[in-house]
Amino acid sequence: MSRRIAVLLFPGTNSEEETLRVLRDCGGDADFVHWTDAKALLEYAAYVLPGGFAHEDRIRAGAIAAHDAMMETVIAGAVEGKLVLGICNGAQILLEAGLVPGTNVAGRATAAFTHNAPGRHFICRHVYVKLAVEPSRCAITASLPEGALIPAWAAHGDGRLAARDEELEVIESGEHVAFVYAHADGAVDDAAIPNGSALGCAALTNREGNVLAIMPHAERDAWNLNHLARRAGSDVLAPSGGSALFESFVTAVHS
Amino acid sequence: MSSAHTKRSPQRSQTLIELGSTALGADERRRIAQGLGREPTRVELHAFDAQWSEHCSYKSSRAQLRRLPVQGERVVLGPGEDAGILSLGEHAGERYCVVVAHESHNHPSQIVPFEGAATGVGGIVRDVLCMGARVVALADALRFGDVRDPESHQRHVARAVVDGISAYGNAIGVPNIAGDVYFHEGFNENALVNVVALGIVKEREIVRSFVPPNGEGWVLLLVGKATDPSGFGGASFSSLTLDAESETANRGAVQVPDPFLKNVLMRATYRVFDALHARGIRAACKDLGAGGVMGCSAELCASGGFGARIDLDLVNTAVPGLPPDVLAVGETQERMLLALPPAVVDDVLRIYNEEFTLPQIAYNARAAVIGTVTRERRYMLTHRGETVMDVDIEFLTKAPFVTPSAASATPCHPERSERSERNRGTDASDSLALYNTCSREPLYRRYDSVVRGCTVIPRGYAEAGVIAPIPGSRLGVALAVAGNPDLSGRDPRLAAEDAVREAVDKVVSVGAEPIGLTDCLNFGNPNKEGHYAEFVAAVDGLAHAARSLNLPFVSGNVSFYNEDSAGNAIPASAIVACIGAIDDVGSITPGRAEQVDAANPLAEIYL
Repeated sequence: MSRRIAVLLFPGTNSEEETLRVLRDCGGDADFVHWTDAKALLEYAAYVLPGGFAHEDRIRAGAIAAHDAMMETVIAGAVEGKLVLGICNGAQILLEAGLVPGTNVAGRATAAFTHNAPGRHFICRHVYVKLAVEPSRCAITASLPEGALIPAWAAHGDGRLAARDEELEVIESGEHVAFVYAHADGAVDDAAIPNGSALGCAALTNREGNVLAIMPHAERDAWNLNHLARRAGSDVLAPSGGSALFESFVTAVHS
Repeated sequence: MSSAHTKRSPQRSQTLIELGSTALGADERRRIAQGLGREPTRVELHAFDAQWSEHCSYKSSRAQLRRLPVQGERVVLGPGEDAGILSLGEHAGERYCVVVAHESHNHPSQIVPFEGAATGVGGIVRDVLCMGARVVALADALRFGDVRDPESHQRHVARAVVDGISAYGNAIGVPNIAGDVYFHEGFNENALVNVVALGIVKEREIVRSFVPPNGEGWVLLLVGKATDPSGFGGASFSSLTLDAESETANRGAVQVPDPFLKNVLMRATYRVFDALHARGIRAACKDLGAGGVMGCSAELCASGGFGARIDLDLVNTAVPGLPPDVLAVGETQERMLLALPPAVVDDVLRIYNEEFTLPQIAYNARAAVIGTVTRERRYMLTHRGETVMDVDIEFLTKAPFVTPSAASATPCHPERSERSERNRGTDASDSLALYNTCSREPLYRRYDSVVRGCTVIPRGYAEAGVIAPIPGSRLGVALAVAGNPDLSGRDPRLAAEDAVREAVDKVVSVGAEPIGLTDCLNFGNPNKEGHYAEFVAAVDGLAHAARSLNLPFVSGNVSFYNEDSAGNAIPASAIVACIGAIDDVGSITPGRAEQVDAANPLAEIYL
C-alpha cells in the first residue's frame, strides 16, 4: 500500500516549499504534483493542499481551484477514505469543494471561509489553535494529545467561517470544528479569534474524519528557528511546535 | 541595407518634439541627430527618450554616486546590474550569496497608489529573480503626507499603497520582514514608496545581466505578460493618439500589476535556471523595466559587447495593432528577457509555456523568441518587414553625462529650528498616539511576514527582520531600512549619515553583522540648484558614514523630480537599507517583550 503524500501545486500556490519540507522532516514520503499532471495523483495515498491564491482566488477564495482537474481525483480519493489536509487556501478549496464540513454531497459547498471581520482585510498574526474534539474524531489528529495546543500563523484575508444558522448547528453538533483559536495558555475566548470566525473555528473536519481544512499555517511555526519564544540552546533546525500536526498526519498516512 | 531601409519620418519627430512629448532636451536631440547622421525615426526618438532618461541613465547622478564606497570583502557584485550581491556563507559545501535590490516607485504610487505600489514590489522582485536567485524577503520604506484628516487624499494614498504592497507581496509568497513609515506634510503631494527585495543564490549559479563572450547568435527570449499599451510614457501616448487616430488603448503611464502571473513566472523561472545549471549553461537574464523590450535587450547585449536584432512582430501582445514604438519601449509589467544558446531554447519554451502553462495564466502570456544577439554592434528593430530602428548600440546605451549647474548651491530647505507640532504631544500618552510614534501594527499586519517558513524574526518583533533562508542551514540574513525626513529638513547630509547609522544599528540590534548597504535617493529636481545641492550633500553623508563603518553600497537607485505642484522638493530622503549576516540563527535574541510567555521559563525582560 502506497504511503506517498502528494503536495498539490495549483497556479497561484505559494506555500508549497515549507509544506513539503515539514512533511518530509516529519518522516513523510512527500512530493509535489503539478497542475498539468493531475493523473499522477491517483498513485498517492494522501493529499495536501498548501496555502496561496490558487487560480488567483477569482470569484471567491478557492472557488475556481475547487473545479481544477486535480480536484476530481482528490474528491474521489476523499470519498474512498484517503487522507486530505488543506491549509489556508487549501482549506478554502476543500470547503468550496464541499469536502468539509461534508454535510451534503461531495462537490457541494455548505459553508465558506469568507472575508475576515472586522476589517475585511488580510491579517498576518501569530495564533494558537486548540484541538476541540477527541483526537480520534479526525484521523489526521489521532496521534495528538487531547486538547493539543498548536502554534501557527493566521495569514489570510478570508478565514472567517460563515454559514447559515442551521448549517452552523449541524457543524457544531456533528463535531466538525476540529480546532478553535486559543490563547497561548490554552484559554478560549473571543479575543483569541483573529478573524471573527463562527464558533471560533480554525479548522473543519468532515463526518468521516479523513479530511481536515485548517486556516492557520502550522508549517510556518514548525521548526525551533521559527519560535519567537524558543528555549535557549535548542536545535534551531529541529522540527517542533506546529510540526506536531504534520507528525500526526504522517502517522495516520503510515497506519 | 540598414539605414537605406529605415523608415524616416522627420516630420513626425518634429511634431512630437513640438508637443514636448519627450523628456529629451534640445541639446540631446541635436546630439542624436548628429550621431545618427539623420533625423531619428519615431521609434528611435522614443528609444533615446527612454534610454537617455534620468531613470535609465543616471545621467545627473552618476558622477556623484561614484563617490560612494562599493568595495568590501563580502562584495560579490557591486552596483551596475539589476541587483547587488553579497557573500553570506557556506552550507553543505556550497557558497551562498544574498542578492539585494532597492528601488523607488514614487510617482506611479502618487498617481495610482494601489497599482503603483504593487508594481514597485513586482519590479524589485524581478531585479532579484533575474540574477538567478530565489526571492526570499521584502522590505518597504514609506513616506506619506499629513494623514490626520481621514478624508484627505494623503490618507487615501497611504491606505492604497499599503494595500498594493500587501496584495502583491502576499500573492507571490515572499515575506515582508522589515520597513518603516514616516508622515510629513512635505510628502502631501509626493509620497515615497521604496521597496527592497532579497534573494538567495549559490555563488556558482549567479545569472548575469550581460551576454557572455560566447553569446554570438544566442536567442533572445521574451518571457511573461503579453505586451499592452500600459506603461507607455503618458505625454508621448496622448500625442500618439492625436496623430495615429488610435483609440485602441488606455492612456498614460499607468502600469498594471499581475501578482498571480508573477507567482507562476517566478516558479517557472526557478525551474528554468535549475534546468540550465544542470546542463552547465550560463544564460543571461534581465528584467524589463523602463525602456521596455528595447531598453532591456539593448543593455543586455551592449554590456556583453554585442548588438541585437529584434523582430517586433514576434512580441506577444494583448491587443492587435500596437504601434512599433509601444512594442519597443512600453513598460508592460511582469516581463523578463533571457539570452540563451539556441540548443536549449525548445526546453525553456516548454517549461514556460507547457509545464507552467503561461498562456493560460494570463491572456497571451508566454515565452517567445523575439530576436538574436549579433556580433555587429548595432541595435536593430524591424516591424512588419520594415526597419524601424537601426543605431549604434553604444551610442544608444551610453547617455551623455549631464553636469547639473551650481552643485555648491545651498540646500533648498530652510533650517527649521522648531519641531513640527505634528511630532509634539501634550503628554506621554498623547505623544505615543502621534502618527510618527504610534504602533505600525495596523500597517504591517497586512503583510505576510512568515510565508516560506524561514522567518526567524517577523515584521514588528524587532528593529530588523531576520530569516534563515537556506533550508537545513543555520545561516541567517537580517534586513532593516532607515531614513528620517524630519532630520533632513535641517541638514540633508546629517540625515543621510543618520540613515546609514540607524539602518546599521537596527541590524546590529538583532545580533547580526552588517555586511552591506543599499540606498534609494529620493530628491527634487536636479535642474534646480537648491534641490540638486541637497542630493550632493546627502551623497556626502552616505559616503562618509559608510566609509567610517567600512561598509559598501552594493545597489541603489535615484529618484529625482519629487516635488509638489508649486515646485517645492520633498524633504531630502536618502533611504538606506542594511543587510546583516548571521552565522547561526540560534545565537540571536528571539522575540520581543510581548512575546515572552509562560511557555518559556528562561525568558526574562531586560530593560
